[in-house]
Amino acid sequence: MLILTRKLGESITVGDDIKITFLEAKGKQVKLGIEAPPHIAIHREEIYRLIREQNIQAVKAASMEKVALAGVWDGLKNLLSKDRKRP
Amino acid sequence: MNIVTTRFGEIDIDESKIIDMRGGVLGFEHLKKYVLHMDDNNPFWWFQSLDDGTIAFVVINPYSAKADYEPMISDNDVKLLEIEESGDVVLLAIVTIRQNPFSVSVNLRAPLVINAKKKIAKQIILEDVTYPVQYYLTAMRTVNGVEDSERRDNCEATAP
Repeated sequence: MLILTRKLGESITVGDDIKITFLEAKGKQVKLGIEAPPHIAIHREEIYRLIREQNIQAVKAASMEKVALAGVWDGLKNLLSKDRKRP
Repeated sequence: MNIVTTRFGEIDIDESKIIDMRGGVLGFEHLKKYVLHMDDNNPFWWFQSLDDGTIAFVVINPYSAKADYEPMISDNDVKLLEIEESGDVVLLAIVTIRQNPFSVSVNLRAPLVINAKKKIAKQIILEDVTYPVQYYLTAMRTVNGVEDSERRDNCEATAP
C-alpha cells in the first residue's frame, strides 16, 4: 500500500484520469472528493465488497439444473400460501 | 452463434439479443456478454454468460419483489448506458436461492440496469441504504394476520 500524507485541500492523482482531494477532517471522519470519468465505479469499500460477495454467493446457489428453478417458484408459492392459511 | 452452457447444454443465441455488460457484474468483471432466458410461467429468469457457459445468475423483475421499488440511477450511469428514454430501461435483481433451510433473497441494493434498446447493461450500487442486499421473499418468521406484502417487508434483512 502506498501511504501519502496530505494537508487539507491537497490532492492525489491515480492514473491520468482520477484525482482524490482531501476536503475536510472532523474527528475520526475524513471527507474526500473524487474526480473520475463516468465509467469508473467509485464505492465505499465495504459495500463494494458486500455486493461482490453476494454476487458470488448467488452464482454458487444458482448452480442447479434449469428444471429446479420451477421447483423454487412452486416452493415459494407454497410457503406464501401456507402463511396465508394461518388463523 | 452457438455456445455450450452447463444448464442448457448447447444453445443457439440470437445475436441481436446479446446484452453487453459494461463493467460486468461485480466479482465477474471479466464476463461481458449475456443473454436473458425468460420463462412465462416463472418470475425467476436466467441471466446467462456467453463468455463462460458455466456462469448464470437467477434474476427477477425487482418490482415483483417490491412494487414501490424506486432506484435512483445517476446521471453518470444514464450517460454510460446511453439511455435516451426511461422506457428503454429494464431492471433486474439478482436472486440468491439457498437450501437447508430454503430461502430466496433478492439483491435490491445492486440491480442490473439494462438499456433494452441498445442492449447495454451495468450493475449499479444504490446509495439508498433502505434497499437491502438480501431482501427475503421467503418468510423467516411467521406473522399472524398480516397482509402478504407487509409481511415480506418485515422480513427484509438489514444490510450490515
